[in-house]
Amino acid sequence: MKDTQGNDPSTSVSRRAFLGRGALGAAGAAAVGMGARVQAAGKAETPAEENPWRYDIDSLRRVDPALIHYDRVVLFPVGGATVRRFALGPDGRVYVASGKSVLVFTPEGARAAEIAVGDLVRAIHVSRDGRVYVGLRDRVEIYDGSGRRAARWPAHSGKPFITGVAATATDVFVADSGNRVVYRFDLDGGSPLRLGEKNAERRVPGLVLPSPFLDVEPGADGLLRVNNPGRHKVELYTRGGDLEQSWGKSGVSIEAFCGCCNPVALALLPDGRCVTAEKGLPRVKVYDAEGRLESVVAGPDSFAAVASEDREAATTTDTVHDGLDVAVDAQGKVWVLDLVGATVQAFQRKPAGGGGGKGA
Amino acid sequence: MNTTGSGDDHTTRREFLRNGLRVGGLTGAGVMAGVMSHRSSADDTVWQIDPRKCLCCSRCATSCVLEMSAVKCVNWFPICGYCDMCTGYFMPQVVDKGTGADFQLCPTGAILRKFVQDPYYEYTLDESLCIGCSKCVDGCRVFGNGSFHLQVRHDRCLNCNECAIAKACPGDAFYRAPAKDPYFHFTT
Repeated sequence: MKDTQGNDPSTSVSRRAFLGRGALGAAGAAAVGMGARVQAAGKAETPAEENPWRYDIDSLRRVDPALIHYDRVVLFPVGGATVRRFALGPDGRVYVASGKSVLVFTPEGARAAEIAVGDLVRAIHVSRDGRVYVGLRDRVEIYDGSGRRAARWPAHSGKPFITGVAATATDVFVADSGNRVVYRFDLDGGSPLRLGEKNAERRVPGLVLPSPFLDVEPGADGLLRVNNPGRHKVELYTRGGDLEQSWGKSGVSIEAFCGCCNPVALALLPDGRCVTAEKGLPRVKVYDAEGRLESVVAGPDSFAAVASEDREAATTTDTVHDGLDVAVDAQGKVWVLDLVGATVQAFQRKPAGGGGGKGA
Repeated sequence: MNTTGSGDDHTTRREFLRNGLRVGGLTGAGVMAGVMSHRSSADDTVWQIDPRKCLCCSRCATSCVLEMSAVKCVNWFPICGYCDMCTGYFMPQVVDKGTGADFQLCPTGAILRKFVQDPYYEYTLDESLCIGCSKCVDGCRVFGNGSFHLQVRHDRCLNCNECAIAKACPGDAFYRAPAKDPYFHFTT
């Protein structure tokens, strides 16, 4: 049946109804859109503290002040490219591996010189005669005091990833994270001997390196200190490769080594006590000869936040993007390179009685 | 002359509807063309997460339109340390390692720990359990190499034109990736 205008009422729509339905639909769509915007805005403004699955280690970052026996006496920014390791020269200058250069600073933090190197510098040592030993990914290069390359040793075989270099009057030790070994060379790079590899007969458990932070530090007692991060140990080897002693335990408590793989760097005080550096919870601590915690140099509050805003480096196989390096000068000051904050800091032991804790 | 006799400038309902249909048809055709055009470009790209920008805020778990988020944790094995003490797997305070729920960081037990050889373990994800909360991602980043990371899984993602997680992401980590190569590539 049609209406007076010849329209079928079952299919025809009045203008009023047409407009009315259109308005309703438009209003509905607008409401949905507004609702979505309101919902999105609400989510975007949700405070981070409301994250129900937050990885919370705030309480673990706190260190008992009574354990901290050192005061910071130097702090300066390094600048430049990604920093990885550093060393102290016999003249007190600070040599920082930064990108494809070695940046040289005065002890006060003034830039004194720069040594250009052809590849990324991953390890560094300055000998008593001022020679600069530079560890690249697969080889060692030696530079004289004027920054001229004096020697270039052959590349290591296997999967080299050099992360530590140290020299004595007779030996050069090279920590190769990729091959999980410490090499002992003579001063010309010859007569290599492999240390630290798994060897059941010699009761050497083997180096475990989830991330490339193998370090090596020869002591005045003739024993070589090597960190074994995956086992949370510091190991002491003879220069012939016998394992004499190891100490350290896993855990987040202050006397232990935290996370998956720590410590990441070592240094020795003039009296032979061992200084360790950790990543994750960036901590610098002093242990006695038996591996007992003696004091804390600096806790996480002294260093840049772990989570860098620039995560570029975190998406490459070059996983050395955070952590600390340590060195000790002749006066016993502990120097620290903060890889995240790109700063150098020095800590001096508080006067006796000023530390408030044992051994102060 | 109009049939209603209400004036020369008036339009009949029939004419109005006819015009309306014409306009509607043209509009619809235009919209369809636009949709098709957009769809063809949308089909070429999909949503993905840039791990460098991810802030581990957990909104991937709560903002997806799906009941269970299309975002999952993925382990990039070339940089995984196969750690005995995996900080993406264990609660930070754990010392004596075990696989009980009390030891595990993951709220749904989605990470599987398998012995490889002393002292190495392999960690894989059960994606049917992973809610994309990123707690393990943060744990792995803070102490380890950052091999755990979040990715939009395209066997689940509806590829919404306006991704609800992307809108909520405080790190602006969502981007459009080529559909033929939809996952983020780490540099080797």
